[in-house]
Formats: sequence, structure tokens, C-alpha cells
Amino acid sequence: MAMTATGGPLTMADAIKQIRADAATYRGIWSWIATVDHKRIGVMYGVTAFIFFLFGGVEALLIRTQLAAADQTLLDADQYNRIFTMHGTTMVFLVIMPLSSAFFNLMVPLMIGARDVAFPRLNAFSYWLFLAGGLLLNASFFASKGILDGELGAPGAGWFGYAPLTLNTYSPGHGVDYWMLSLQILGIASLAGGFNFIVTILNMRAPGMTLFRMPLFVWMTLVTSFLIIFAMPVIAVALFELTFDRLFGANYFNASAGGTPLLWQHMFWLFGHPEVYILILPAMGIVSEVLPTFSRKPLFGYPFVVFSGVAIGFMSWGVWAHHMYTTGLGSVANAAFGVSTIMIGVPTGVKIFNWMGTLWGGSLRLTTAMLFSIGFIAMFTIGGLTGITHSIVPSDYQQQDTYYIVAHFHQVLFGGALFGLFSGAYYWFPKFSGRLLNEGLGKLHFWLMFIGFNLTFQPMMVLGLLGMPRRIDTYGSGPGFEGWEIWNMMATTGAFIIALSIAVFMVNFVRSLRGGEEAGADPWDGRTLEWAIPSPPPAYNFAEIPQVRALDDFWHKKYVEDATGRPVPVPAGASNGHEEDESGGGHGIHLPSPSYFPLIAAIGFPLIALGLMYDHALVAVGAAVVLVGLYGWVLEPATEE
Amino acid sequence: MRAHRATLLRLTAVALMIGAAVLLSGCEPFSSAQNTFSPGGEVAEKQKNLFLLVLWPALAIFVLVQGGVIYIMFRYRQRREGEPLPLQVHGSPRMELAWTVAPAILLAIIAVPTLGALFDTGRKPHDDALRIDVQGQRFTWNYTYPGYLADGAPLQLFGEPVSEDQPQGKPAELHIPTGREIGIYVTAADVIHSFWVPKLAGKIDVVPGRENYLWLKADKPGTYRGQCAEFCGASEDGKTGHSQMRLIVVAESPEDFEAWLESQGAEPAPDAPPAAEETAGE
Repeated sequence: MAMTATGGPLTMADAIKQIRADAATYRGIWSWIATVDHKRIGVMYGVTAFIFFLFGGVEALLIRTQLAAADQTLLDADQYNRIFTMHGTTMVFLVIMPLSSAFFNLMVPLMIGARDVAFPRLNAFSYWLFLAGGLLLNASFFASKGILDGELGAPGAGWFGYAPLTLNTYSPGHGVDYWMLSLQILGIASLAGGFNFIVTILNMRAPGMTLFRMPLFVWMTLVTSFLIIFAMPVIAVALFELTFDRLFGANYFNASAGGTPLLWQHMFWLFGHPEVYILILPAMGIVSEVLPTFSRKPLFGYPFVVFSGVAIGFMSWGVWAHHMYTTGLGSVANAAFGVSTIMIGVPTGVKIFNWMGTLWGGSLRLTTAMLFSIGFIAMFTIGGLTGITHSIVPSDYQQQDTYYIVAHFHQVLFGGALFGLFSGAYYWFPKFSGRLLNEGLGKLHFWLMFIGFNLTFQPMMVLGLLGMPRRIDTYGSGPGFEGWEIWNMMATTGAFIIALSIAVFMVNFVRSLRGGEEAGADPWDGRTLEWAIPSPPPAYNFAEIPQVRALDDFWHKKYVEDATGRPVPVPAGASNGHEEDESGGGHGIHLPSPSYFPLIAAIGFPLIALGLMYDHALVAVGAAVVLVGLYGWVLEPATEE
Repeated sequence: MRAHRATLLRLTAVALMIGAAVLLSGCEPFSSAQNTFSPGGEVAEKQKNLFLLVLWPALAIFVLVQGGVIYIMFRYRQRREGEPLPLQVHGSPRMELAWTVAPAILLAIIAVPTLGALFDTGRKPHDDALRIDVQGQRFTWNYTYPGYLADGAPLQLFGEPVSEDQPQGKPAELHIPTGREIGIYVTAADVIHSFWVPKLAGKIDVVPGRENYLWLKADKPGTYRGQCAEFCGASEDGKTGHSQMRLIVVAESPEDFEAWLESQGAEPAPDAPPAAEETAGE
């Protein structure tokens, strides 16, 4: 290792060449650690996010157990605050966003007929940073005065982190430090991913795939990526300010020294509302793929669905203050944001009706994937309608910060985003495993989750209207709390049914991975390019880059419409869609080489974060590691010689 | 069978929603003292009415969509493998335009009363309202009546937070007269809180470094309850926090209110606004 093949002294370039040669031959775990293959990165995103989902789920069960009845003492006020803060932060940043990223990674290159993303190493870097941020956030449980000292060290100021509660005076210890620094790292991961997918989608589509021949999921990935690259810098600035306040005695948010608490809220929600659409648009994209496939009809009004998605993306920037009606912005500002919130209901409604139009007149195959997508329509509709009630500003003065809001956004993020993501999991699992998930267990999963979900979150609407505020660690049974217990008990029961449904999913996943029914290349009679290649896809995806001639190109290779608009199968052999599967074999295809450098660069970031909290010398070490990673990354030749 | 089950489930969900809406309007187990649906004053009344105004069209759309989905699942379910493919409809610009414009019109209609009520319920309290300065402090509330002097200083009431020897805490009772507009002016001693007595009015955040306001009016004498609605953390020992920051408002007839003031040794400050009777008809 110390000498190069030619026997000369070791240079950086030689060292890199040597590492690369080693990397190319890695098997097993090392081939995953050095991978830049979008499919493997997608799998890693999915598995990691699912593990964090279990963390967040356990936190949810703790919350629900504590609130099941009046005056419970399972958790004290401080522990409860830390648990609900971790639940919210985990589910938003470590579960829904990375699960969406998993699908971006897995599906976008396949759906646009590309061999990988535009920047494969940047993609690996995104994943490792996400993992680093997630681990750092959860490490906070062990922080000073943490679990090891018999206390929870985690942040306890809410996932929304309103100043001045987040400042040192009110949140001593390192909990909030871990929170703000890990969110900063997760933001960099999201930014890298956002840029990567914009460039990939705009530049790497197969010949003939114009923007308006892109599958809807790809469109929604594009819109989401743009939202990410504009939204993340906003929270980055807010987090930097908080970092300066907490660690360096600056004063952005402390009112008693002239700072402005509301500054945080404006920045947080200017990020936070587009973030809501960052969470939901990918799921809308998935649903827009699943519904046509299992209705055996094209998406109803494709351009309308595309444009409504783009419109939502733009409008999401003009509604942030509806999180702040009660902060005293004044009636004029509240009126403006009330009206913009009303308006964003229109493109959202368009999507729902277009999905119903897709189902209408179809030949519906009610598979598990389809049930989750239909469940999405049903549950997201409730989320949308309750959203409209928030635009009614005076009535929102009552509902703000009550369980009505908790019900509303779980309707959107669980009944919406998570149902959509599960739909995608059942739909695309066979593409990557070569096997189908068991349908019987799948349907059991769906129905348990559907029942559990409704039992958990519909009672919360009632609770909110009965005056139960959010984020209270307990409630009494005396005057003021009459009638709260029964609804809380229902919600807790529902939460455990959801937990059961997740267990069913996990059993199904493990069993099907080993012994599921063989899927073949195209188990669902699919419409988009990913179904044209074998399952699981070869490393190079497409032996020959496909020529795209239409929207739903793969479908049109299998069927032609006769004069009445009725599709007839193309006679066997006449198709030009399948032969590329077998031909070629991938020889002579240039694939990006494995690389360790993204991982090395990513390791530096949590070191910097820990250094900021404990010892500034570690900051220098972390920065050096980042530089080494980036240096090697830059000098590494891009392709095999 | 499966579609049948789906129907049952959805119907149950619909029934639950409607049942909840009906029950909320006053049935016994739903008569929480913090129920936003049994208003005890003008502001809360307007807010409830606005919610109901939106509830009915929202329920109609809810039934339309959920009913539509159930119908579609029955009507268009694939009966057997290998069914011929359905007609490949790609869309209908006319229909899509219709379901873009129709909700837009519906929403525009809803916007009108919203804006009306917004500027009314969100306005600054009138000058002749009874002014009360409310201070939010972890985890209790303090009140000052600048219009009344007790021993030469403005009348003040201090709440006591939950502590070792005071396990339930002791919120100060905020006394107000019925029928008169009350101007609540809020400031924070530490972090953000939110003043919320659901039966009287929606909430107003109590933000350090600024003074927010809210007006409300109680119709009938009685005790109205509420609690802090903005997360404000936990005490250092972790035992108490946001959930214990409770509010008690005692509304009394103007005569009883005067008697209460007297019992507090308070008398109108020289430049105080006129007494309740003269402004009650406002």
C-alpha cells in the first residue's frame, strides 16, 4: 500500500488510485459503504428512515400512554416535553423526508431512463450526512444530564423550537444544542439531494422524454427539490442565529436584551410551510403513479395535476403566517394570509378530483398498494378540509395550538404522506427485491392501519374543539377537562393498533424478501420505464438507453389504442420494449466507481457539531476531516481509466 | 366482501364525524368548561358561528368525496382476472376547469364573512373598555387593573405556580363584569405564553418584548376556565410546566363586580374610564 505499482514514492494521486482499485473489488458490507449506486443509496435511505420511524413510533406510544387518562405520571413534565420534541423532529426530518428521498433515489433514474443520478458521490454524501444528523440528534438522549445520569438529555423545546424557550436560560444543558446542530447537518444533506435531483431530472432524461412526458412522480420530485433548495437556507439562517445565541452569547431572540422572539417564528415557518409540501408532494407523486396502474387507465388530466403541483409549490411560500395568527401580527396581515391560505385549497382540491377522475370508469385492482393510495385520497381530503377551517382566521384563534391542529396535520402527514409512502413501498418492492410483498398480510396491514389511524386522530379533532391544548403533559379530571378522558383513551387505543399494523408490515417485509412470490419485470402491467427492465434492475439499469415517444411510454409499447380509444395489446414480438432487457448485458457501460470520500467528508460534520458543544479543538479536527474528504473527492478521477 | 368492509368503515367514519359535530353542540359528556362550542360571550359566539359556516360545506365535500370513492370502489372494481381494459380517458379540460372554478367560488364566498369577523374580533379594545393588564409568567398568570387603585397602587392579583407545598398551584381569579367590553393587554415575563379562555374568546399570544391585545365580553355570570395555549416548557425539577398554567375567569354582574372591588379595597383611579352601566349598551 505504501508503494505504487511502479515502485515510485507514494503521491496523493497514486494513493487515490490505489483506494479506488481496492474499492472496486469490495464485496458485502464494504460494497455498501463505498457505494454510489442510486439504488443502493435508496435502499439505505429507506431502511435507515424506517428504523428512525420505529424510534419516533415508540415516542408516540409514550405520549399516548401518558395522555390515555387524566393525571398520569408515567412521564413528568420535563420528560414529556423531551419525548414529544423528539417525536416531532424525528418524524419530520428523519422519517418522512428521508423516506421520500429513498423513493427519489430508487425511482427517479429508472423512471427517466438514466443509469444513475447526475452526481453519484454527492448522492452518497447526502445519505451519510443524513445518517450522521440522525445519529447526532438521537445521541442527545445520552448528552450531559442524559440517560446515563438517569435523565433524558434530549431537546425539550418542541420541534418548532420557539425562542426564547430555546435559549440557555430556559433550556439549559445540551439538548437544544444537539437539536439545532443536527438539523443544520440534515439541512445540508437535503440541500445536496435537492440540487442533485434537479440536475438529474433536467439533464439526464432519456432521449424523447420531454418535461411533459415525465411520470408524475418525477414532476413532484422536481417541485419538491426546488422547494428544498429554497426552504433549507431559511432554516439554516435561523439555526445559525440560534447557535450564536446559545453558544456565543449573541442576542437575536432574547427580548429582555432587545432581541426579537417573533423573528424566529417568521423564519421557522417561512421554512416550515414549504416543508409541509416537501413532505406531502412526493406522496402525491406516488399516488399519481399507483392509481393509473391499478385503474388500468391513464392519469386523468395529467397537465392539470402537474400544474396544480407546481402551483402548490409556488403558493406554499405565501402562507407561512397562518401558523402565527395569534402572535399579534394585526388584522391586515392576518387577512392577507387567511386569503392566501384559502387560495392554496384550490390546487389541492384539483388533485383530489383528478385522482377520482382517474379511478372513474377504470378496472380497479384493489391491491394493497392501491388500497393505500385510495386511503390517501380519503384521509388527505379530511386533512385538506380541516386545513380550510384554518384559513377562517377568527375561528382559528380558537383552534390554534389545540388538538384540532394535531389531528389536522397528522391527517396530512400520516393519512397523507405516510399512506402514500406505504403505497409506494408495496408498489415498488418487487422492482428491487424481485419478489412481491404478501397481499394477505398487506391488506391486514392496511386495514389495521386505517382503523387505528382513524381511531387515533378523529377523536383528537373533538378534543381540540373541547379546548384541549397541544403539548400538555397531563390534564386533570376537574372542571375544564370534562369529557376529555374518553376521547384520549380512544386515541391511545388507536395508536397501539397502528403499532400492531407496523409489526404486520415488518413480518411481511422480512418474509417476502426471502420467500415472496417471484415478481418478474412487470408484475403490475405498469406504465412507466422502470417496469421495462428486470427486477431487480442490473447495476447499469438500462442496457440500452430507451427512446421515449410518449407519456407512459412503456404502456404504449404494450398496447395501442384503436379508433374508439379502447386499448388493444400489441401482438407478441412486434413490441420493441422488451428486447433491451436481455441484450447488451451491460458490457462496456461506464458506471461511477465506488468512493469512500463522501463518507469521510460526512463524518467531519458531526465532529464539528460535538466540538462546538464540548471542546473547540474538535471543531478543527472535524473541519480537517471534511477537508480531507472533499480533497480526495475532488482529486479522484471521475471514471475508470 | 372487502369492498363491503370498506363501505362499512367509511360509513362509520362519516357517522362519527357527523355525530361528533352534533354532540359537540351541547350534549352532557361534551360540556367541558373549555368547550369552544358553548360560547359564553360575543367573541366566542362569532368564532363558533364562523366555524359552523365552514363546517357544512366542508361536510358536503367530505360526503361527496368519500361517497364517491366508496361508489367507485364498488362500481369499477375488477370482477375477474383478464377483464378487457377500460376506455382510456386522458382527461376532460371542461370538467377540470369546473372543479377548479367551483371550489374557488365557494372559497371566495367563505372569505367574505371571514374577513368581516376578522377585523371585528381582532380589533383593538375600545377606549372605554375595562382594561386589564395580563402578565404571563412560568407557570401562572398575574393581573393588573390600571383603572382601580388599592392603597394608592393599581389593583394587582398574583397567581402562585405549582410547587412542593402547593401541589395544585393557585391561579389568581380574574374578575370581570358581565355585559361590558374587557380589554385584555398581555405581556410576558419570560417565554411565550398564550392567553386562552375558550368560552369567552380565541387566544392571544403573550410574547416577550411586545404588548398584544384582545377584547372579550361575558354574557352571563359564571366561572370560565382556560389554560396557557403556547408551549412554555417545564420547571427546573421537571415536575410541573405548561400544562399547569391554568386560567380562571369569574364573570359577575356589574353590582357583584363592584362589591368584589370593594372587598379588595379598590376604588376607581381618578382618570379611569366611566363605570359599566354607562357603556353597557355599546
